[in-house]
Amino acid sequence: MSRYALVGNPNCGKTSLFNRLTGANAKVANYPGVTVERRSGFIQGLASPVELIDLPGTYSLATSSLDEQVAKDMILGLIPGEAPPDLLIAVVDATNLQLGLGLVFELLALRRPMLVVLNQMDAARARGMVIDIQGLAQDLGLPVVASVAVRRDGIEELLKALEPAWAISYCTAEGLPDYSVEVVHSHIQQLLSKHIHQPAHTPAWQNRLDTYVMHPVWGLIILLTILLVVFQAVFAWAEPFKDVIEWGVDNLKTLTEEYLPKGILRDFLSEGIIAGVGGVLVFLPQIIILFFFILVLEDSGYLARAAFLLDKPMRGIGLSGRAFIPLLSSFACAVPGIMATRTIGDPKERWISIMVAPLMTCSARLPVYTLIIAAFIPASSFLGIFNLQGITLFALYLAGVTSGALIAWLLRQRKHSQSFPLLLELPNYRWPMPFHLWMGLRERATIFLRRVGTIILALTVLVWFLCTYPSAPDGATGSAIEYSFAGVIGQFIQPIFAPLGFNWQMCIALIPAMAAREIAVSTLATVYAVSIETGVTGLGDNLAASWSIPVALAYLAWFIYAPQCVSTIAVVRRETNSLKSTGFFVVYLFALAYGAALITYHLARQFI
Amino acid sequence: MKALTVEILSTHTSSAVTPHSLAECSKGQQVLLVELSANPAFGDQDLAVTARMKSLGFVPGAQLKVIGYGLFGRDPLAIQVNGTKFALRRAEAQKLLVIPL
Repeated sequence: MSRYALVGNPNCGKTSLFNRLTGANAKVANYPGVTVERRSGFIQGLASPVELIDLPGTYSLATSSLDEQVAKDMILGLIPGEAPPDLLIAVVDATNLQLGLGLVFELLALRRPMLVVLNQMDAARARGMVIDIQGLAQDLGLPVVASVAVRRDGIEELLKALEPAWAISYCTAEGLPDYSVEVVHSHIQQLLSKHIHQPAHTPAWQNRLDTYVMHPVWGLIILLTILLVVFQAVFAWAEPFKDVIEWGVDNLKTLTEEYLPKGILRDFLSEGIIAGVGGVLVFLPQIIILFFFILVLEDSGYLARAAFLLDKPMRGIGLSGRAFIPLLSSFACAVPGIMATRTIGDPKERWISIMVAPLMTCSARLPVYTLIIAAFIPASSFLGIFNLQGITLFALYLAGVTSGALIAWLLRQRKHSQSFPLLLELPNYRWPMPFHLWMGLRERATIFLRRVGTIILALTVLVWFLCTYPSAPDGATGSAIEYSFAGVIGQFIQPIFAPLGFNWQMCIALIPAMAAREIAVSTLATVYAVSIETGVTGLGDNLAASWSIPVALAYLAWFIYAPQCVSTIAVVRRETNSLKSTGFFVVYLFALAYGAALITYHLARQFI
Repeated sequence: MKALTVEILSTHTSSAVTPHSLAECSKGQQVLLVELSANPAFGDQDLAVTARMKSLGFVPGAQLKVIGYGLFGRDPLAIQVNGTKFALRRAEAQKLLVIPL
């Protein structure tokens, strides 16, 4: 079986092409270096099977980040267990030929079978560029094919050229001597003036847009507005979808209770599985909306501008604009965020970014936040536009961000280093493609649902079991759960958390929440559905009846900081490749969580 | 090919303009890159930074345009080269010696 590899600059549409060729679920973005994982799939529509590998975006083989190192090592066959690809598919953005051909010339020197794809030909044509593809192919000594990865019919010609029968024989007739970069670039310039009949220039509207988007004042206003809209949308737009899911879960519960005979099976289904899983499932709309915005901002090319604007302020805390993307991704989930730090060239900056990434409020915290906010914060409006609940949520996000900034600054004091270049490409603006948004969102939703269906379901069952057995002895005065395993464990660890005001139900919820924070919600649902017979159905009402406001606030403060996520800890271990760093990560975050909850509880008691 | 670059440079340098760093240029200005100099701020990484900048198209003879600045203190700078836009910090911009076009 043949193996091909896609290689090209970040932003050249390589991942879109990969999606198009394989039909696989790969995240497509417009930001330099989002593809950090090894991504492979089978090309569809070829006579014989071909595996396609999507290499991380790279500008040059003289590498400057881990990402590019991986791409280079793959091309050269230096990665153990990975044979060098049989064919390199060099993807070049037709609207950005100079940069793309620079890499092509470096690849030429390797003298490997290679094919050049001019991607985004639609955009090039729209700008009035006429490219003499045959002439270019002749001068390069390689086949050159045009493609439009974002369109279904844009890759037909490419597919024909990729048949293994002849594809692996594409090779440079004559190898180029090792020219200097200067010579290569003037050579490219000559090629371009010979074969491109209308020079590429950025469309005027893009430049005009940039004068506002990158303006020191307007740019900041635009950035803050976008962030505010995103957070408001996460709360407001998700509401109707949430209601539908809640309605479905409630009905399912009622049906189960009506049709099954009273007994252990009925309780297991309605109180254990349906209540537990349902309590987490209602947050799917919010997670999808958040990811929708991140994907749109990435695909449109805006995120790089935001990184440009934020570079100076982030330098103040020892990071750079490059850290903005990993940290923003961490608002959805710290795991992809930490993995995206591979695009940060400076190893110390990368380490600091990993350490503070989980302080960005991830979507798994939203279920916990929204539950407690809805139960304790009145929905009254503030200044007529914003509602108090939204403001509280914003404050929680802000607390995470400012703590992250402070800690990054502190960590940088110990690890001072020489300057590191920014050199960040500001890609062309592009309309986000619905096809790729759809692929990205589907991937996110699948990951979340898989978690609900596996880890969360298993833990929900475990928690239900712990909360149900052993049953209360005859003549017991307290509620049944106090005699169960869960009650015993919760009461056992409760003294540690007593200074924070946490009751044992809250302590029980922290244990399974180590697997995923949102499980705290389903655990609380289980614990309170079992232990309180008030007739009140909503979990929020239950909490409002049994927690004081200072306790609720302390619980929120705990969740801002605590590394309540085994997957994050595992990915920190993998990415830092250091037990010491991982240990530091876990200890400092738990200590911070404890301290913050302690202070919040005691301060709140003074005022409320 | 080499001759082409040299020719461009000689026609401009003959007008006896002293090159200055790109960091000193103002917004909207179009300049010609004549040399990449060392910047001690990058320490032992300086040569690697130079190589990287060259591979991104910052080679002598390239035409650059300053298109914008970041939030504070005109740092970073947004520079257009060969139709591609890049964000450069002052430290990188200081490496680029340019003459007005």
